[in-house]
Amino acid sequence: MNEESAKLDVELLGQIAQGDRVAFSRCYDRYSGILFSIVVKVLNDPKEAEDVLQEVFLQIWDKAGIYKRELGVPFSWFVTLTRNKAIDRLRSSQRRFRLLEELKEETAVLTNAGSTFMTDPENRESSVMVRSAVRSLPSDQRQAIELAFFGGLTQNEISESLGQPLGTVKARIRRGMLKLRDALEDHL
Amino acid sequence: MIDERTEEQASLYALGLLSEQEAREFERELRESEELRGFVAQLKRSADLLATSAPSVEPPPHLKQKLLDQIEQRMKIVPLKKAETLFAPAWFPWAMAACLAVLCAIFFSENKSARQRSARLRDELQELQKQTISLRGETDILQNQVAEFRSKDRLSQLRIAMLSSLLASSPKAVAVSVWDNEQQKGVLVVEHLASLPSDKDYQLWVIDSKYPSPVDAGVFTVDEKGAVRFQFQPKSRVNFEKIAVTLERKGGVAKPEGKMVLLGS
Repeated sequence: MNEESAKLDVELLGQIAQGDRVAFSRCYDRYSGILFSIVVKVLNDPKEAEDVLQEVFLQIWDKAGIYKRELGVPFSWFVTLTRNKAIDRLRSSQRRFRLLEELKEETAVLTNAGSTFMTDPENRESSVMVRSAVRSLPSDQRQAIELAFFGGLTQNEISESLGQPLGTVKARIRRGMLKLRDALEDHL
Repeated sequence: MIDERTEEQASLYALGLLSEQEAREFERELRESEELRGFVAQLKRSADLLATSAPSVEPPPHLKQKLLDQIEQRMKIVPLKKAETLFAPAWFPWAMAACLAVLCAIFFSENKSARQRSARLRDELQELQKQTISLRGETDILQNQVAEFRSKDRLSQLRIAMLSSLLASSPKAVAVSVWDNEQQKGVLVVEHLASLPSDKDYQLWVIDSKYPSPVDAGVFTVDEKGAVRFQFQPKSRVNFEKIAVTLERKGGVAKPEGKMVLLGS
């Protein structure tokens, strides 16, 4: 995610706020893949993920006018919207516990599958860097962070799920997040 | 310099793991420290980039068109909203205030009306309760009247007969019989009747013209004062016409044989 990309996103949001469907279409092309991947990862249900992605983009259409640059780059806003909606959906379903088990397995062997997150080579490289950074985390730290990010679990739930004291979980998350930040420093 | 505890809070905040209360407190710290804001922004961006580590899955191709169609529908409504927004600053607050005032007036009126309805219903309920009590009283009266009528009806079934002495030896002897035709039972009360030797009984007869001879109603004796209260029941069902007492041998007879002592009708 570079500065040029963020600038383009801000422009697109401005146009969407004016009711520009072409801009909306471009925004969809840029982010539907990555956002859909997040939802599928959280819900583990492509059909339900469709509904959530639809809600996300309709919200982008409706709320583009109130987006504020100081709250972060558009990509962060999109991810937050998507993650919140997916986790809300997850919490209202009983698939949560099944997901926990799957996440534990997944974090043990992190996939190398490619992402369609943006099509330009620079962003592909960024995606590869992120994967590499995540892979470089010790498994206990990665597991705690992924349970929070993709599982939507609370601190206590993560502690319970991992069978570790709350203090240990917090410390793992802190160390993991600092490492992640350091590894992604060039992309922040 | 950010300490470890703050780093921990910042990491949890970036992942959305703080409770509402904790997040509010942390945001107060954020407002006071530019360094902390920069640190949190980096962590937040790192967390956002985690999204790109999810295995890639493409949304179905039809979804985009579906979304564009939905937006098309919304577009038909949007211009109206925009038009309203253009004029909003001038009169919108006053219109809102007027609407609120009207609504308040309606609610006040509705409330007053509801209270009046409630009071009216309460009065009606009290009236109905009074009527219920009154009806219960009337029912009691009617039931008493019915009982009375039944009693009167019962009395109408009773026959009272005065019996006179037919013996010169017992001129003062008197008797009264009360006969319940429905029950086919009666009571005979006698006074001043002559005492009897041990081999004799007085025998009571009910006379009904449909029978060829009087119907036996039992034997009795009197005390030393010549008195007795004797309950009797004829051997056959009778239509009471007359009643008579005869002097018979001990234990009575099937048909009258001795002297008639008392007679009444």
